[in-house]
Amino acid sequence: MSLTLKTIRDTAARAFETQGLPTTRDEDWKYTDLSRISTLLGDQWWQVTEKNEGVIADLSIPELDAYTLLFVNGHFDAEASELPESITISTLASMIQDEPEKAVELIAYQADAPLSSGVVAANSALATDGACICVPDHVKLDRPLYILHVNSGGTSHLRTGISMGKHSEIKVIEHFAGDHNESGLTNSVTAIRLNENSSCEHYRLQMEAAKQCHLGRVEISQKRDSSYTLHATELGSMLSRVDVVNRLQEPGACTELNGLFVASGRQHIDHHTRIDHSAPHCVSRENYRAVLDGRSHGVFNGKIVVGKGAIKTDSAQTNANLLLSPNAEIDTKPELEIFNDDVKCAHGVTVGQLDKNQLFYLKTRGISDEEAKQMLTFAFADEILAKMNNQSVRRYIERAAFAKLPNTTDLEGMLA
Amino acid sequence: MIKIENLHASVDGKAILKGINLEINAGEVHAIMGPNGSGKSTLSNIIAGRDGYTVTKGSITYKGKDLLALSPEERSWEGVFLAFQYPVEIPGVNNTYLLKAGVNAKRKHQGLQELDAMDFLKIVREKAKLVELDQSFLSRGVNEGFSGGEKKRNEIFQMAVLEPTLALLDETDSGLDIDALRIVANGVNHLRSEERAVVMVTHYQRLLDYIKPDFVHVLADGKILKSGGKELALELEERGYDWVREEAAA
Repeated sequence: MSLTLKTIRDTAARAFETQGLPTTRDEDWKYTDLSRISTLLGDQWWQVTEKNEGVIADLSIPELDAYTLLFVNGHFDAEASELPESITISTLASMIQDEPEKAVELIAYQADAPLSSGVVAANSALATDGACICVPDHVKLDRPLYILHVNSGGTSHLRTGISMGKHSEIKVIEHFAGDHNESGLTNSVTAIRLNENSSCEHYRLQMEAAKQCHLGRVEISQKRDSSYTLHATELGSMLSRVDVVNRLQEPGACTELNGLFVASGRQHIDHHTRIDHSAPHCVSRENYRAVLDGRSHGVFNGKIVVGKGAIKTDSAQTNANLLLSPNAEIDTKPELEIFNDDVKCAHGVTVGQLDKNQLFYLKTRGISDEEAKQMLTFAFADEILAKMNNQSVRRYIERAAFAKLPNTTDLEGMLA
Repeated sequence: MIKIENLHASVDGKAILKGINLEINAGEVHAIMGPNGSGKSTLSNIIAGRDGYTVTKGSITYKGKDLLALSPEERSWEGVFLAFQYPVEIPGVNNTYLLKAGVNAKRKHQGLQELDAMDFLKIVREKAKLVELDQSFLSRGVNEGFSGGEKKRNEIFQMAVLEPTLALLDETDSGLDIDALRIVANGVNHLRSEERAVVMVTHYQRLLDYIKPDFVHVLADGKILKSGGKELALELEERGYDWVREEAAA
């Protein structure tokens, strides 16, 4: 029996009805309490918000030279978008309407996938729009593809698919932004498939408005010699949870996950990542950092599974956390499961305050205590951002991150 | 310029300095020598204002002020500079940015106008030449990935830019090869002036071949046991420190 859009929707909806939202009794959701979402939004969180509700400010990254896809409250805005010609882009909404058989693959729901939950089921059942991107074999997109999601509160369920042909290359920037004072929910699933020797640099910038909840999932599967880099930055939203699930399926695949949380107030940010080394000679690098101020709470769980036969695996994971306030909290857990000899796996976690020797050094050079602390905090965060190749994005995030740090004064000098 | 009187200090309850008396005037170069663990680095750290030391007795007066009451940054604004024995690496903080912030903080403290980027860059380029530091080092993170010798040269470069009145060199010569030592000494000699005092804390006489001191002091067991001219350094090189101890005990 071939799957239809309706059967997938129904299966996912039933799965959600059975499972509901995950609770803190679930090990993977121990620190992240989603009951806040139903309390805040009630039944509304099922209902996708209309496109034009609320006023949308221009929240795009300045001076970014890119093709642009604009989604407003989860709906594609064709007029404000500029699409490239060398690759194929359609939207979930148009596929559902015109060629539902093509939407099947994009919306597919897999109950037993790692870190699957009611959140993903709800996304499959409800997703109304999103970009479906196909990069043909041997095509290198000449400019980055900028997917801007702007919302004005309310709920959106988004599904994005990126399929990379053999030897193809793309830079994708997913930017979630909002400037409003309403409660809301973004539920976004992005699936990226990398074929042989293809390469994808993926920026995922979470800068939602203060009362928005953000639930995200990025699924990556990689064929032989493909290379994937994620730059995930978490600055906005009151509650953000993102799951990154990466499968290295064939030899020579390379993946790099870079994450930065900058949180203040009562923000809650949680990333669960999982990398499956299923083939020999794959490389994974994971660097996550958090700067937490106020009463913010960060959660990092990084699981790396080296499967049977995945010899010569080369994997390294680090997670460094800086707590600027005695009330900030981080829960961090690296997990390694290795079913195989002849592998190289390293991991390290640090939680701490600013380095006293560095502080003293700066002060002996005439830098005031406050400014020295700012410099070191910024430098700590910027080590992750320095891995970004796109300088417009890097500068934009640096400014936004710096603005969130306490008592910041001279940013432009630091960036020089 | 600076007067240290009967200074006693301890770390974690252990007495390290046991009554230091030392007076240094503008224009003078002093060398403080002594065996390992004698308290040499403790003295320079206390003058620069590092946490973790408890001054139990005595005082340090600098330009008529109670130095111990000032924060490390205030001491820097007043002209105190410490060239570190082990300069720390600070990735992500740009070398030039650090110095510009430091210079301008000092100028602000002195009621002077801040330097603009162009003027500052000119100064920095000129001073970098002085210690033969490649321009590329200016835009790198502070000491990030520098070799041991490069770090020491960077300390002297920073000193040249910040133009202190009291420069403390904490074992700046250790770990340097002859060429690097010559460059570092050159930089220091260039800074010698009537308004400036230099204190070199060192283990080896070798440095004093390149930077000629006016006074040499022997620091051992937390006290200055003997003071003299530069010929004292040669004598120490030849005879070691034990005779000074014995002489002091007698």
